[in-house]
Amino acid sequence: MTSVKRTIAVAIALAVVIGGCSGTATVTIDDAWARTSASTQNAGAAYMTIVGGDTADRLVAVSVASAVARTAELHETTMGSGDTDGMMMMQEVPVLEIPAGERVSLEPGGYHVMLMMLAEPLVTGAAFDVTLTFEQAGEIVVPVEVREG
Amino acid sequence: MKLKTTLLLILVAATIGAACVASPPALPSGIVRDPPPDVSDVSLPDAANADRAFTTRAGSGALLLVYFGYTSCPDVCPTTLADLRRAVQRLGDDAGRIDVAMITVDPDRDDAQRLTAYVQSFFDGAHALRTDDAGQLLAAADAFGASYEVSQSEDGDVDVAHSAFLYAVDADGLIRLQWPFGVTSDDLYNDLVRLIEERT
Repeated sequence: MTSVKRTIAVAIALAVVIGGCSGTATVTIDDAWARTSASTQNAGAAYMTIVGGDTADRLVAVSVASAVARTAELHETTMGSGDTDGMMMMQEVPVLEIPAGERVSLEPGGYHVMLMMLAEPLVTGAAFDVTLTFEQAGEIVVPVEVREG
Repeated sequence: MKLKTTLLLILVAATIGAACVASPPALPSGIVRDPPPDVSDVSLPDAANADRAFTTRAGSGALLLVYFGYTSCPDVCPTTLADLRRAVQRLGDDAGRIDVAMITVDPDRDDAQRLTAYVQSFFDGAHALRTDDAGQLLAAADAFGASYEVSQSEDGDVDVAHSAFLYAVDADGLIRLQWPFGVTSDDLYNDLVRLIEERT
């Protein structure tokens, strides 16, 4: 490696390190969406990817305006055991850990924001806000796009 | 020169890999049960058709896709039904040979109108099978090998657990294939093409 090349390499490495340190990044949210709901459907689900910040955080609450649904809860779809062996079911998740720098997916068949008693059907192309409350990052309002899915 | 050879090899390998992915899979993605369960005796009121009895058997040359679910299901049921819808849409003219029936495992909350609107929001003309007779529902589920459990928690919430398979039934009332939750729309499409070809 020539000394010029080495200098450039060191400079790039430094830039990356310094860039990473400037300001502390908190959690961010990618690709939030919800599936279109049938006219008589009373429950819906919203999905997204939560990207961890520089330090670990925890998602402790989710909410939506009453114009969207009566309540929202973080749920996880799980496979039952014992009496419910082989059956799929849902359970509420009180706290979701978001490790530093990791992507935590809320996706069909896994974690989702469950919307209970929808105020009106979710129509393709519409959008609504979900408020996520994190222990460190505080409240983050996430615009959710309704798709046919 | 060595680098060029390596690159060439990678390119060749990638081409072969891509060709393998593109060719139709040799085996279905769905589960084949042997012998295929016979569900031709299952008959339930079709809420989408004035509660007339509907027998879980496809028309001649057609396929009936049956799903046990419930309309308050926000995650699993709409995911499977939406993936199925996408697969059926891709069939083009052959989509007319696919019939869909949803059997509610939660008839207390899923009244006739709610169930019909739900399943028909995914598939025009789909059957909405619903019975208040718990024994009749259980017998239907047993014939398919489906299971479910509806319970009420202390805070009054209704919890539903259900085996989340999608079943493909032929004109003899035999289950030809079934798919677990999580099957992709592409896999469903390939399996439906195969099943339709077998029927013609």
